[in-house]
Amino acid sequence: MFIFELLVQGLIQGGIYALIAIGLTLVYGLLRILHVAHAGLYALGGYCAILITNASGSFGLALTCSMIIVGIIGMVVYRIFYQPLLDKAPFVALIASIGLFIAMEEIFRIIFGAYGLTFSAPPLQDTVVFLGIYLRQCEIASIVLAIGLIAGLSLFTKYSRIGIAWRATVTDPEMAESFGVDVIKVRYLNFFIGSMMAAAAGSMVALLNNLVEPTMGSVPSYKALAIIVLGGLGNVRGTLIASLAIGIAEAVGTIYLGNILDRDSIAFAFLIVVLMLKPQGLFSKG
Amino acid sequence: MEYEISLLTIVGISIIGALSLNMILGFCGQISLGHAAFIGVGAYTSSILTKSGVPFLLSLPGAMALSCLIGIIVGFSSLRVRHDFLAITTMGVSFLFTGVVRKQEVLGGEMGIAMIPDPGWGKLGYMVFVILLVVILAIFSLYLKRSWMGYTFDAVAEDEDTASIVGVNVASFKLIAFALGTAFAGLAGALYAHNVKFIDPESFGFIESITVLSMVVIGGTGSVWGVITAAAVLSVFPLWFQFIDDYKLLVYGTLLCIVMLFSPQGLSGIVADLKGRLVNSKEGLHAAD
Amino acid sequence: MKIKSIISCLFSVFVTSCFALTLFAADTIKIGINVPLTGFAASDGKSALNGAKLAAEQVNDAGGVLGKMIELVVYDDQASPKHSVPIATKLIEKDKVVVGVSGSYSGASRAAAGVYQSAKVPYIAAYAIHPDITRAGEYVFRTSFVGEVQGRAGAKLVGQSLGKKKAVLITLNNDFGKSLAAGFKEKAGDFGVKILNEYQYSIKDRQFGAIVARVRADRPDVIYATGYFFTAGPLVSQLRAAGVTVPIIGQEGYDSDTFIKIAGKSAEGIIITTSLDRDSDDPEAKDFIMQFEKKFNHKVDMVAASAHTAVKVAAVAIAKAGSPDRKAIRDAIAKSEVPASTGIISFNALGEVIKDVQVQVVRDGDFRRHSIIHDPVLLAPPTK
Repeated sequence: MFIFELLVQGLIQGGIYALIAIGLTLVYGLLRILHVAHAGLYALGGYCAILITNASGSFGLALTCSMIIVGIIGMVVYRIFYQPLLDKAPFVALIASIGLFIAMEEIFRIIFGAYGLTFSAPPLQDTVVFLGIYLRQCEIASIVLAIGLIAGLSLFTKYSRIGIAWRATVTDPEMAESFGVDVIKVRYLNFFIGSMMAAAAGSMVALLNNLVEPTMGSVPSYKALAIIVLGGLGNVRGTLIASLAIGIAEAVGTIYLGNILDRDSIAFAFLIVVLMLKPQGLFSKG
Repeated sequence: MEYEISLLTIVGISIIGALSLNMILGFCGQISLGHAAFIGVGAYTSSILTKSGVPFLLSLPGAMALSCLIGIIVGFSSLRVRHDFLAITTMGVSFLFTGVVRKQEVLGGEMGIAMIPDPGWGKLGYMVFVILLVVILAIFSLYLKRSWMGYTFDAVAEDEDTASIVGVNVASFKLIAFALGTAFAGLAGALYAHNVKFIDPESFGFIESITVLSMVVIGGTGSVWGVITAAAVLSVFPLWFQFIDDYKLLVYGTLLCIVMLFSPQGLSGIVADLKGRLVNSKEGLHAAD
Repeated sequence: MKIKSIISCLFSVFVTSCFALTLFAADTIKIGINVPLTGFAASDGKSALNGAKLAAEQVNDAGGVLGKMIELVVYDDQASPKHSVPIATKLIEKDKVVVGVSGSYSGASRAAAGVYQSAKVPYIAAYAIHPDITRAGEYVFRTSFVGEVQGRAGAKLVGQSLGKKKAVLITLNNDFGKSLAAGFKEKAGDFGVKILNEYQYSIKDRQFGAIVARVRADRPDVIYATGYFFTAGPLVSQLRAAGVTVPIIGQEGYDSDTFIKIAGKSAEGIIITTSLDRDSDDPEAKDFIMQFEKKFNHKVDMVAASAHTAVKVAAVAIAKAGSPDRKAIRDAIAKSEVPASTGIISFNALGEVIKDVQVQVVRDGDFRRHSIIHDPVLLAPPTK
């Protein structure tokens, strides 16, 4: 019973990781950039959600707006910071991204204050007892949202024209271009969708914790990198599985490994072991 | 004067840290996002040694040896994984280091280690010692860069597949780069510990790794002078920039971005660029004559 | 190409301008303070700085000390020992401060304490809790509790005042949480409290589902949970949402209005041990709370009160020493008997504060007085 409860908690956390990591792995798959500042967009999503909810009273509206706003900002980030660096050595973009992330955290602090923001009346906080497990509505909502968005994404890439073009570009950019795919458009779309999902994760975490802080992105930023490597860089399905696995491993590890290893190191311990055994990640293509 | 002395000491230690990473990243082209972990290994080793009565000077080789040993182990991972995978593996090393040290009561755990003994040379003496080591390391770096080993490192950094085709033993050169770089990182750590006299896991966290990395990259990977300049500027940055207090980290982050956007070769790239233009314009003048 | 040269030009101007900048100040008495204004600890840094500023302003409004105004020299240390060491040297050497105050965390304070000690300049840590800070030497003082002392007070509160016997510890995995838990565990047995289990979490955690599930299975009478407001807020709401209704005991890390904002209704009834009594009859504390909230339009917290106290202790000592001589000021601090916002401050031989522990409870969205633990034997700080 208790293990089942841990499992559910792990899935909630894993769902959040998945929303963040999928955006990251999409960016990597397309552009070979380790987009650390993605976590800054995640935090921005949290800020938007709280500010808009407090102003309008509707979390649904806030979630939608936050996803759209952050999606657009994601495209701007691509245009300003990554497009000029595409032909440079990979760590150039990585360091620019780290710089951008540090700057974003500071901008949040300067604009929104060092103490962080909270909902004036946090919605979805009632407890539901389900099979002896206590869950808050917001925890259920975050699982549902994660499943919905990820399912939506996979349908989109399978059946819509632009989705197919996108998949083609990820697999082989030159070939796709020669078949008339607008690669530039695909890149913008990529950043829009990835950032949108990060914003969704940020909004849900804001709700779960009833708190967004300037440094909110600092944990998922690097952990998500570990997750996408575990999943085989650029592999969406692998990333999803790795996210859930890390979520569960952390939930279990908090209880049983608490005295040996920090929770935040679990993902990296996992990662190093896996990479030494399978240098291309758990779910590498081919 | 004491303030300048303490600043120079810090600058010197940062330069040693940055030069040590430069050997791995700059010379051999192997990215490491976990360099602070090796600095940390050196700091912890030497602190424990001096606290148990070993003289400071003897603790330095100890720190370097242990750091180097762990560096070689991590170096083996660079044989397995490359590029972005290596970046994230070394990042993992950084997080794992703090994660493990935090939980070890022998290493002071979360409380860290305080009251690290003073080497007893006074502040000036310590600074002179540090600067001396900086000079030695800089000369060694310059020498290494121009030696046959440096050229082999270049070949590995450039394209390791080609290098191995022409008969370079890529694996052993990568390990040598890691061994050298992490040994000097251990030295930097030992010097840091005996300067600040207090260490805790957080002092060698991922942020520190990034700080060292940005020194190397802003200086221009591989350029010894560039790295020395960048390490000097960036290590005193937080102290000079007190007057913009609230915006300090913002400026720092933006600077990282801007340097990468406009001069991915770092300072050495800017200098080379200016030099090139100076020569060009001179030639232009001559042509006009 | 043009843009590149403009940028590099701007950059060099920027760097050189840093050398040129020097601050000219009138003839004042300088108190140095290192606080984290940027980075992860910025919220506590801001509170600490505000508290310190208020104290300096109050002293100056009352005519200053030794006929001069007090000037706070503020540097941002990002809560890092690496930065606090050169800052300490700069404050001592360049700014010639007569007293240093730490409004920063343990690591930064511990590293700076050594510098102050060797320069023989008094240094007062406002709220850093690492036991080794005052062990740097006779020039270093602390105006807040060592972690262990407050943990012992927690054990007494749980076992004696609340009469709870089965406790679960949820410990923040850093020097703060660890030393509090150590104090609690040390004295728990004396008050008949049995510790069922202890769980650890890291300072970055905000999701405690796994721990909460486990705590619920343990069925404790009481939970002793260490943390800061940003970890404690989510922790408390998640415990309450999971149907855990037993009392939760916190510490001064909870002592912030943001804690109540985060936890909302769940914050009601949470009891904490801290340094600041909101319902104090003491004019010092009352005045501080009123002035602080008027001036900064932000509710007071423990950090602000502690920094306020530290600066006040420094100012009083300077006045009592009768001269800006650092040795005389040290001696005056050692003999302090200063009424301040966090109680009457006096120090033992090691420089640790001796005062009562304030127990506060959250009622109707505000911290209110619960009780005061006055027990000089139990609360005796370490003496060496």
